[in-house]
Amino acid sequence: MPSTELTLGIVGSGGDGVITVGDILSQAAAFEGLNVIKTEAYGPQIRGGESSCNVRIAVKHIEAQADRVDVLVAFNWPDFNRFKGEMLPGDNAIILYEASDPTPVPEGIPPKAVRVPVPYIQLAMDSAGTKAAKNIVTLGVLAGLFNVSIDAIRAAITKKFSGKKAGLLDANVKGFESGIAYAKTLGAIGESKRLEYKKGSPKVLLSGNEACAIGALHAGCRFFAGYPITPSSEVLHFLSEWLPRHGGSVVQTEDELAAIGAVVGASFAGVKSMTSTSGPGLSLMTEMLGLAAMAEVPTVVWNVQRGGPSTGLPTKSEQSDLFQGVFAGHGDQPRVVLSAEDVETCFHSTVDAFNISEEFQIPVVVLADQSIAQRRETVSPEAFKHAVIGRRVPAPEEMAPYRRYKETADGVSPMSFPGIKEGIYQTNGLEHDESGRPNSMHLMHEQMSAKRYRRLRPIRDKYHDFYRMGPEKADLGILCWGSSKGTVLEAIEAANAAGAKVAGFSPKVLYPFPKAQFLEFLNSVNQVLVIEVSFAAQFYKYIRTFIDLPEHRVKVFCRSGGKNLSVPEVAEQIRKALSEMSMQKEVLI
Amino acid sequence: MSATVTPFTAGDYRTDLKPVWCAGCGDFGVLTALYRAMAEQQWKPWETVVISGIGCSSRLPGYVSTYGFNTVHGRALPLATGVKVARPDLHVVAVGGDGDGFAIGGNHFLHSCRRNLDVTYILMDNEIYGLTKGQSAPTTPSGDKTKSTYYGNPEPSFDPCEVAISVGATWVGRAFSGDVKGTVELMSKALAHHGFGFLNVMSPCVTWRGEDQFKTFKAKSRPLPEGHDKTSRAAALQFTRETEIMSLGVLYEVKAPSLIDRLAEIQTRARASRTKEPTTDEIVRSFLPKL
Repeated sequence: MPSTELTLGIVGSGGDGVITVGDILSQAAAFEGLNVIKTEAYGPQIRGGESSCNVRIAVKHIEAQADRVDVLVAFNWPDFNRFKGEMLPGDNAIILYEASDPTPVPEGIPPKAVRVPVPYIQLAMDSAGTKAAKNIVTLGVLAGLFNVSIDAIRAAITKKFSGKKAGLLDANVKGFESGIAYAKTLGAIGESKRLEYKKGSPKVLLSGNEACAIGALHAGCRFFAGYPITPSSEVLHFLSEWLPRHGGSVVQTEDELAAIGAVVGASFAGVKSMTSTSGPGLSLMTEMLGLAAMAEVPTVVWNVQRGGPSTGLPTKSEQSDLFQGVFAGHGDQPRVVLSAEDVETCFHSTVDAFNISEEFQIPVVVLADQSIAQRRETVSPEAFKHAVIGRRVPAPEEMAPYRRYKETADGVSPMSFPGIKEGIYQTNGLEHDESGRPNSMHLMHEQMSAKRYRRLRPIRDKYHDFYRMGPEKADLGILCWGSSKGTVLEAIEAANAAGAKVAGFSPKVLYPFPKAQFLEFLNSVNQVLVIEVSFAAQFYKYIRTFIDLPEHRVKVFCRSGGKNLSVPEVAEQIRKALSEMSMQKEVLI
Repeated sequence: MSATVTPFTAGDYRTDLKPVWCAGCGDFGVLTALYRAMAEQQWKPWETVVISGIGCSSRLPGYVSTYGFNTVHGRALPLATGVKVARPDLHVVAVGGDGDGFAIGGNHFLHSCRRNLDVTYILMDNEIYGLTKGQSAPTTPSGDKTKSTYYGNPEPSFDPCEVAISVGATWVGRAFSGDVKGTVELMSKALAHHGFGFLNVMSPCVTWRGEDQFKTFKAKSRPLPEGHDKTSRAAALQFTRETEIMSLGVLYEVKAPSLIDRLAEIQTRARASRTKEPTTDEIVRSFLPKL
């Protein structure tokens, strides 16, 4: 029986063309309107070395990368062994390995997996006259065996090699056809995994960081300052190309202190601005978040979480910047913290961040993580629509005299900017009065703290979106956030399809805490399971800062990052939670 | 400027906020000089931004009736970078002290010089931390006893003008705040300069360096020699790291494209073949598979 989804894994060394195989496969599938999530992984070398690529292709919308691959291409076993534990073949996987690799098939390949030696190198030599074409041969083998976008792949190869050295295009097309022909000789081994689908309209294929950058441009961002850091530098890269086309500028600063400082300066000057970073950079940016809160300057920070603390796991995901995102900083400082769940929401959360920041003159931190910021995923080109809100500038009657921090019902004061003749003001990070003049008296501090915090109420009234998964009433309710949401959703759908009653809740706004929405969900489920990729259970503890989670009802699954949360992993926790209810791990320390 | 507009006078740049500075503080002279220099330049207060970090001297933006922002310790220049890059139409002045600018903000100083950021940086150098009450700073002479150097400062000091010249500032001057007239003259030139203008104003701290500092500065002050070639880096560097004298004037001045010029040029190139701004849809569609 043909299949509606397929996950392919490819591993090899530098020069094997692993990344090209993944790129062309996913581009071709996206072109045919299929849904794709693609991830890549590399060894520790700066350049070269082993690399792997995981491409999940599906007819229906998919929420997460696959945990296990249906098809594994191994150009050599030693490289596969380096990714052990991260590139897992499924029980019935088809393993297409290089026939000339003298290394024995390693342990850990499931016994029922079909092992097929494929002479990629020989086929490449025979057809294209060079073993460099073996990745193109591979594309032919995969396309032929599994019915993956043959015409689109052929077109992609033609596009890639057109206009290159004479004969190169011809050689690669021959390589591709030779792969397809070889697939035919393998008989029916791919039959159960052959994709069956109707072609749809092309989808865009992009990363979460790129979606964030598009969101920034869409929201009207015209200044970006940043410091390179994995895994968020793509925002800097993308905007360095596109911002100047919009009449904006990018400054790569000397450090993160300067990056966010420049953003606060540009925003003070009336221009929508943002920076992007990851955990270690956010640590440095903390001082300026305080100034932005005190001086009420709109500031947007895109933070892509990676394993920590310290340098931690720079290229791998974790959900452990939650405390830092919400709480980091001295003094009582309000800010807004949003999450992003997948590539598409990286766009929407960024636009929301600008909207909230500009409307309420408050710093907004968006917490994404490596797993969504760096994976490439298909999105409908129609999905990039989001209303944009601007800043509240003073009306003429508010100018005589102008008071920058004028008391208002919602705490939001009209914000002037340089160039407005009657709107001149001097401000600071000192406590100040309504005119911005330094004042360190208790009563003023109390009054202005109240003014700054008062804005959180209208923000919460307007922004408390969340994802509600599963039935209205459920035996088990899962609380999760950010990138975990997609994985949890797939696990919930599978569990419910098998007869369970599991629901899920994932807040889009982390702070101000959407208390009513949390409580409503908790009241709709019997048992509660918190799932997160943080060893110290930051999300569980964070929720408990605002609401009670009785221990007899609650189970926590928290583990460190370095490996993305997987559907089978969540499924296992659902099974356990439904059978034995007790705290799985001591997380109260 | 249209003929119907009354020219700005120094008094137009004054706010009614009373400075927190001690009586006799050198920063009063700098503030007065800034009012006059801005009046000389006829900068419109609403098109001017003064930005500071933290310290005694960093209180200055509150006393100037332009847009002003007294920010975070050491970070005046990053904020100024953002203001100027986002709004090249504005006049941007960064101010601060030696601890703020050269210790905690030292990295930003280097890179602002290197970028030739189109901002004027006026530094009030009193060779001490004043607001935190008398600790040694990067410009405190070696051996000096301060609150934090009980046995004398064990560290060599540096000359900010030498650093600025070495790393790319295109206008570098040294002034003495006790000589307000001379300071106005230099400051006005610094404000008018296209590119990063760095004016190090020796500004005595009566409280932590005593009356002697004023006297010493005054005694050591002398104008740069006639005929000094300010376009020569080597010539300019001869008037840094001085010990017995303190040369005042424009040490260094060259013409070079500023960061703003370069970014404008990038915008022109980026938009060369375009008649209008890209739409979100255009950007999104650039991610369609190119087959």
